[in-house]
Formats: sequence, C-alpha cells, structure tokens
Amino acid sequence: VILRFLAVAAAALAFAGPAAACAHPRTSLSYLQGQVMCPTCHTTLDMSNSPAAERIDVFISKKIDACWTAQQIEAALKANYGAGILAAPSHKGFDLLAWWLPIAGVLGGALVLAFGVWRWSRRREPDEPDEPTDSGLDEETERRLDDLLARFD
Amino acid sequence: LKITAQALALGLVAGLLALLVWQLGHQQHAPAVGAVAPTFTLHRLDGPGNVSLASYRGKPVVLNFWASWCNPCKSEAKVLERDWSSYRSRGVVFLGVDYHDLASDARRFVSHHRLTFTMLEDGSGNVTGSYGVSQVPETYVLNRQGRVVAHLAGPITDPGFSGQFRSAIAKAVA
Repeated sequence: VILRFLAVAAAALAFAGPAAACAHPRTSLSYLQGQVMCPTCHTTLDMSNSPAAERIDVFISKKIDACWTAQQIEAALKANYGAGILAAPSHKGFDLLAWWLPIAGVLGGALVLAFGVWRWSRRREPDEPDEPTDSGLDEETERRLDDLLARFD
Repeated sequence: LKITAQALALGLVAGLLALLVWQLGHQQHAPAVGAVAPTFTLHRLDGPGNVSLASYRGKPVVLNFWASWCNPCKSEAKVLERDWSSYRSRGVVFLGVDYHDLASDARRFVSHHRLTFTMLEDGSGNVTGSYGVSQVPETYVLNRQGRVVAHLAGPITDPGFSGQFRSAIAKAVA
C-alpha cells in the first residue's frame, strides 16, 4: 500500500508542472478509482493493490495531469481493456437491464410485501355475521325457549 | 392464490439453480494436454492488423501469456527471445499474448527487452481466459495440428519448467 501510494505520489509530482491550468474542473484519482475495476482482481481500483491496478493508477494520474476529463479517461481505459474495466455498466442496450432489474426487483418486492400485509390484516379482522346463526332447534322448542326466557325479562 | 405463490417461489428457486448450473458449466478451464487449443484472433501489439492462431496451423507454436506489470515475465522475456532465435529456423512460431495490460506499457516492455517475436494484445483478457490463465506468465506449446503438447503454469525460467519446455518443443516439432 505504501509503495503504491509512493508510486502514485511520484507520478503526480512528476506531472505537476505541465498540469497547471485546465479549461474544465479537474477530475480526481480517488473518484476514478471508484469507477474503474482492477482487471486481475475484479474489485474497484481503490480496493486493490495489485501491480495491474497500480499501473492503471499511474495512467489515470498522468491523464488527469494532462487535463483529460473522467469521461475521456474512462473511454481510453475501455478501449484498452474492454467494457469490463468500468465498474458501472453502460446505459445502453443489454447493459440497461443491469440498471432496471434492481429497481424492478425492489418494486416487485414492495408489491409482494404490501399484498402480504394486506392479506394478513384482513385475516385478523373478526367476521361479522350477516344473518343470525341457526340454533339447530326445531320451531316448537325454540318458541318454548323464548317463552321461558321472556319470564325473566 | 396460495398455489400461485408456491409455484412462483418454486420457479424462482428452479431459476436460481439453473443459473448456478449454467455458471458451473461455463467456467473456463485450461485446455488439457492433447486437446485442440482454443482458436482466437487478436490485434498485433507490435504493428497494425490482426493475427489468427489458425493461420499457424501446420507449425509448432509457443504461446506465452505475459504482462508488463508481471515481475517474473521480465526475467522470462530474455529467455524466450533467446529460445525464439534458436528455434525459429526449425519452423517454431513464438506468440506473446499481453494480458490485462495498458498497450503503451506493453510496447515499452517489448522495446526495453528487445523482443522480436510476434506480440498480440488481449486487454480484455477474453482469450487469456479461454486458456484458463489466472496469473502470468503461463506458456502453452502446441503441435502442428494445434493440439496442446504442454502447459507450463509459471515462468519457463523455473528449474522445473525449463527442461519440460524444451522437451515439449522437441515433441511439437517432431
């Protein structure tokens, strides 16, 4: 990690002179380290200290000092390593699925959850009887029972 | 509704299992000795145009995977260049495949080590992956039919590999 830091610092110092002025705000190494993958270890550059990642760090530092934008640097890395070098998939074609599927998954999950909660709350509501329940007694017995109960009113 | 939910859950589990099986089935492995080496076409690192492995059918091929950031590749480069010089008269082709590397760094490496055999770039690592290479350097020796004679997963400068490398070339030439 120390060696990597020194290498990046040395590269930054070496190119500090010609990098005095840029027409646009300068991008940063730390930003791009989070956007670019280490090709050999399949983590972002900021998580890697492999030799391949160190070389990409140096390349990025040089390009930042040469006033390249983040988009230009990413495009150059993509041309060299292929699309897999970028941590985020592109917003075009099949890669678009990678952006929409998680959103669809979250929405789908929320719908399933809401439906489950709705069903659960309905099951817990007491059922209101629409009609008096059948006592199972014949009419004569029921009449006698009503008469008997009326005496206590 | 309950049956639908169960069917949905079962479908989901079956889908995940299918994905796992597909992933296991598509893992890239190193071609075995005797198997035909995976074909490829790559950009030349040392000039314009592409090179196809198939175009070397009929010739023994030494396929070396390397990168400029790889330390053992530095000591190996000198040996490979020397061997290329001595075997080229016998029709052996040496191909260097630069892997997961910045093309500018790779060209500097080639120039610094004065390497004169054909160099190809595999920045994406797709071809290298099809050979099951996980760390460089690695070397394959292919016979005239394009079949793997030897796979050396390490620098050919290693004591264990140097003799194996030469005997593989002898076998590929025969």
